[in-house]
Amino acid sequence: MFHWLEKNPFFFAVAVFVVIAFAGLVEILPNFAQASRPVVGAKPYSTLELTGRLVYIKNNCNGCHSQLIRPFKSETDRYGHYSLSGEYAYDRPFLWGSKRTGPDLMRVGNYRTTDWHENHMKDPAAVVPGSIMPAYTWLYKNIADVDTAYAEQLTVQKFFAVPYNKELPMADGSKVTVALADTLEGARASALEEAKVVAADMKDQSVKDAVAAGNVPEIVALIAYLNRLK
Amino acid sequence: MENRPLEYDYTVAKLFMYNAIFVGVAGMLAGVILAWQMAFPQFNYILGVNFAEYTNFGRLRAIHTDSVIYGFVLSAVWSSWYYIGQRVLKVSMAESKLLMFVGKAHFWIYMAASVIIVIGLQLGITSSKEYSEFEWPIDAGIVIVWVLWGISIFGLIGIRREKSLYISIWYFIATFLAVAMLHIFNNAEIPTYFASGGIGAWYHSVSMYAGTNDALVQWWFGHNAVAFVLTTPIIAMIYYFLPKESGQAVYSYKLSLLAFWGLMFVYLWAGGHHLLFSTVPDWMQTMGSVFSVVLILPSWGSAVNMLLTMRGEWQQVATSPLIKFMVMASTFYMFSTLEGPIQAIKSVNALAHFTDWIIGHVHDGALGWVGFMVIAAIFHMAPRIFKREIYSRSLMSTQFWIQTLGVILYFTSMWIAGITQGMMWRAHDEYGNLAYSFIDTVVVLHPYFTIRAVGGTLYLVGMFMFAYNMYKTMTSSRVIEESELQNATPMGA
Amino acid sequence: MNKTVLAAIIVTISMLGFTYIAVGSAGGMGGEDWVNKLAVLGAVVLVLVTTFVVTKYVRQMQNDTAGGKLADESWDGIGEYKNEPPFGWAVVYFGMVIWAIWYFLAGYPLNSYSQIGEYNEDTAVLDKKFEAEFAGILSNPEKLNEMGESVYNANCAACHGLQADGMDGKAADLHVRLSLQSVKHVLMNGSNSNLLGTSMPMPDRNGLLNTNSNALITDAEIDTVSKYVAGGFKGEGADVFAGTCAACHGADGKGMEMVAPNIAEMSPSMVEMVLNHGKKGAMGAMPAFTNLTEVQRKAVAAYVASLSQK
Ligand code: HEC
Ligand code: HEC
Ligand code: HEC
Ligand code: HEM
Ligand code: HEM
Ligand SMILES: [Ca+2]
Ligand SMILES: [Ca+2]
Ligand SMILES: [Cu+2]
Repeated sequence: MFHWLEKNPFFFAVAVFVVIAFAGLVEILPNFAQASRPVVGAKPYSTLELTGRLVYIKNNCNGCHSQLIRPFKSETDRYGHYSLSGEYAYDRPFLWGSKRTGPDLMRVGNYRTTDWHENHMKDPAAVVPGSIMPAYTWLYKNIADVDTAYAEQLTVQKFFAVPYNKELPMADGSKVTVALADTLEGARASALEEAKVVAADMKDQSVKDAVAAGNVPEIVALIAYLNRLK
Repeated sequence: MENRPLEYDYTVAKLFMYNAIFVGVAGMLAGVILAWQMAFPQFNYILGVNFAEYTNFGRLRAIHTDSVIYGFVLSAVWSSWYYIGQRVLKVSMAESKLLMFVGKAHFWIYMAASVIIVIGLQLGITSSKEYSEFEWPIDAGIVIVWVLWGISIFGLIGIRREKSLYISIWYFIATFLAVAMLHIFNNAEIPTYFASGGIGAWYHSVSMYAGTNDALVQWWFGHNAVAFVLTTPIIAMIYYFLPKESGQAVYSYKLSLLAFWGLMFVYLWAGGHHLLFSTVPDWMQTMGSVFSVVLILPSWGSAVNMLLTMRGEWQQVATSPLIKFMVMASTFYMFSTLEGPIQAIKSVNALAHFTDWIIGHVHDGALGWVGFMVIAAIFHMAPRIFKREIYSRSLMSTQFWIQTLGVILYFTSMWIAGITQGMMWRAHDEYGNLAYSFIDTVVVLHPYFTIRAVGGTLYLVGMFMFAYNMYKTMTSSRVIEESELQNATPMGA
Repeated sequence: MNKTVLAAIIVTISMLGFTYIAVGSAGGMGGEDWVNKLAVLGAVVLVLVTTFVVTKYVRQMQNDTAGGKLADESWDGIGEYKNEPPFGWAVVYFGMVIWAIWYFLAGYPLNSYSQIGEYNEDTAVLDKKFEAEFAGILSNPEKLNEMGESVYNANCAACHGLQADGMDGKAADLHVRLSLQSVKHVLMNGSNSNLLGTSMPMPDRNGLLNTNSNALITDAEIDTVSKYVAGGFKGEGADVFAGTCAACHGADGKGMEMVAPNIAEMSPSMVEMVLNHGKKGAMGAMPAFTNLTEVQRKAVAAYVASLSQK
């Protein structure tokens, strides 16, 4: 039979395709609906947080940092509760990473603060002697792309019914609503409001000035994102 | 018909060969810089602090991986396809204007896409998915490139004179089909600019899958990108170049057959080993582990078939650096396809995942298996394409030993680094607290990072020797007769 | 001895040697963690099997002769023998296929493994072990201090530095109770860090009356008294302190229960409050550390308090 296939390229190709497609069908499909259900406490990203997430991706932080806490005591001691599938329900793309040159950041918002990030991103080795993380000085100058984040928010709201402007139950029983503006101007304004809160805890004068002038430097967005990782 | 020498047309093979050599050097230069950055972070500012945005580790990493995989390796694969395809199907590209046009379009559209990719990655335009960093316009370009290759494959097969397909062709077809399927599913995404009515960056998109599902699709892709870019086409190459260069018949048809169909079936299951102890369901992880272990056998099948093809031919191994490259490639193929399954055992992965041991595994496959096989293929093809002998055998031999040493330094240092790091992360002290803060586990790796950087630099030095040798071969070494081109490649001193 | 075999032995021994050194330096040899042991075993198997098998084929390259029945085709001059696959390989291959099918259909479903279940079991065992070992640690100051240091290194050093000096004002210097900058900041802005365990605030300058002069505290007075407090209650400023602060913080600055905290010394209970609620001040913010266990918090509190006593 195989020798026959080798003389009939069309059927050969069909046979190869069937054989390689099989595993995908069995392994991936059955889980699809279930794995994307959010856990209680998961909430969509605000405009500034999502902007920061794009900064994170743009600089390939995921090349060195994971966002996946495996269920081992050594990891839960270091990083906090192990990851649950539903916590990632709003992560497009997922950012688990595959290499820990630096520590996991899944819950870094629990044990680091704005000012720490500000110091650390500017000169990691000054804060953590021996660090091999690069200094991200340009983040303090570049202005973040809030518009694209807003476009992404609109897209996920429309196509994946991501619950913006809806009351969501939190683990402690409280309710939270993540607002999404109806207009681009509105989105820019609300991102700026969020940025002011972050910048208030920062010391870099040029960053503070930029925010006061109505701009959002990349570092501010990034810190908003890091702070929300909990 | 049987013995009429066909005039094969290597125009497209040649173009891809130039690119493979160039990107090989450039992509590995990027790798070497990365390696030095991890040992000495000052290398992040290699062009000054003002350019650090473009030279830092994060930006360079994707440039390295994509350029070696899709630049160096894919170009060499395609160069080999446009060379081997004609020869084992007994048909010349010159016989079909259409296929000639398709081949050239394949190359030039690919080149255009490559340039855009590199510029984009420098600017930080990425979707973050490993080995699939490209945004939708590039994804679309990749589809075009791939379809053109498909037309070339099936077009050439359509007008073939050799009725039954040689083993190499099986593997080329499998590569084509699998990557097509994987690429399309992994890049299901919605362009935000159009979905939002014209807001933000036009090239940006958002994945169709979220969280765990996205991870599942990504590593189904990622694992098989390894399988169908760094493995199957390389097997296609070795099945042609080793028997051809050595003049030996392939050891066993049955072994080829079992290894091929086994590999096709099993490889696709194993992607779960990238997601062990993650939030994907336990049973998928376990299947990933189990099938990874099974995968040793079809993988070793090909390697054993090649090694046994050389049985009784030790004098060739001893005298020809070209054969040495291929025998060493098979050896590293065996090594990495045993290492992979061991790392895929759940409890071993608990330690190895996220560490440099994985990076070691990647590179004993990538440098020892893929890199050596690509180099050997080009050494074999060049004299036949340019009708000149290899410029220098001794340079080639030196290159072989320098690069072998480079690979050994690379993977031993990463092996040690990974195991050390994995153990330190897990360690609790006598009080039940973590024994090491994270930075402790970074600082101890410094010597190993340095050794790796030295090893990588040696490999790169070998690449420069290779490029020089090829340059001389193409331009100024002795011109040879058709009759010298039967088996063993002619080489100058 | 054959050169090939010799080379194989050298490779094996050196790889195993390297691994031994690595594992030794990471403390993996003596440990009880069986994951470590399995990983090392994997590494050893990898080296042994690869060298063994490759040596076998190299010997065949050296000693065998090629042969077999050739297939009819020849592709670009490449022939193909119709040899049987190596026996050992074929047996293992089919064995593996059967094993995988068995595992898929019966092995896995029957064993019903759960990684979270395993985590819970492992954690319970470890927690019990440490609990038993440290049942009496709270009454053993020396041990408690040592444990505190180990908690400190893993959790606090990232901000306060390995020397606990606050790394140039990026976080509090834990060898002193308060920096000048902090005291001033509190006087200007007030403070509400739950240092007493309740949200009892300290007023800002608009609520600080100097009873000596019967006026709100002045810029000059803020300067002097800050230096006085940060300097360890020495030098100028005692009068301002007595007139303005002592009412709440006590004449010696050691605080009063439920009224104001001790600002003269670092006390374990104050550190615990910081761990429970976090703290935001002149230098920046510190997050709460409620993930630490009760014992860990007590231990690190004791350790930190001891730093300023040296
Ligand atoms: C070259 C690898 C590398 C890259 C790229 C990198 N980091 Fe790091 N990162 C490290 C290392 C190593 C550490 C641990 C030492 C330290 O704290 O500086 C670290 C630590 C951190 C920490 C502290 C986490 C903790 O628990 O202490 C944060 C936050 C962080 N990085 C964020 C980022 C962000 C955001 C980016 C991208 C903009 C980034 N890193 C890029 C290597 C890297
Ligand atoms: C009305 C009572 C009151 C008076 C008067 C008062 N304090 Fe306080 N002080 C407090 C309370 C309550 C706190 C704890 C607030 C908190 O939890 O952050 C405090 C906290 C502080 C702190 C912060 C300690 C830390 O670790 O951050 C400093 C410094 C301080 N006081 C200095 C002074 C000085 C100097 C004066 C006089 C000039 C003064 N206080 C007057 C009630 C008072
Ligand atoms: C993310 C950084 C960070 C981490 C981690 C951290 N701290 Fe702090 N800590 C700070 C900062 C910043 C301050 C100073 C706040 C201020 O300006 O008053 C501070 C203040 C303190 C103070 C108060 C000192 C004083 O006299 O007012 C204590 C005590 C303290 N830290 C103990 C700890 C301990 C113990 C740990 C570990 C379990 C720890 N910290 C971890 C950032 C941190
Ligand atoms: C039997 C064959 C193989 C198996 C079972 C296997 C298994 C594995 C495993 C378990 C990992 C680590 C996953 C993790 O913990 O992060 C891995 C990573 C990797 N392997 Fe293999 N491997 C095999 C062969 C190869 C070969 C021949 C190559 C060729 C170069 C290769 C390239 C890679 C790459 C590039 C990665 C890194 C993926 C990432 O980015 O995380 N593997 N492999
Ligand atoms: C001179 C040779 C090379 C050097 C010095 C080198 C160096 C590096 C370095 C330092 C990294 C980053 C590792 C990390 O993040 O910890 C890396 C990643 C990688 N390299 Fe190379 N590299 C070289 C050649 C190659 C070649 C030829 C290939 C493929 C054919 C390759 C494929 C990869 C891949 C797939 C990764 C990502 C691994 C992962 O994410 O798990 N490299 N390389
Ligand atoms: Ca990776
Ligand atoms: Ca894409
Ligand atoms: Cu894989």
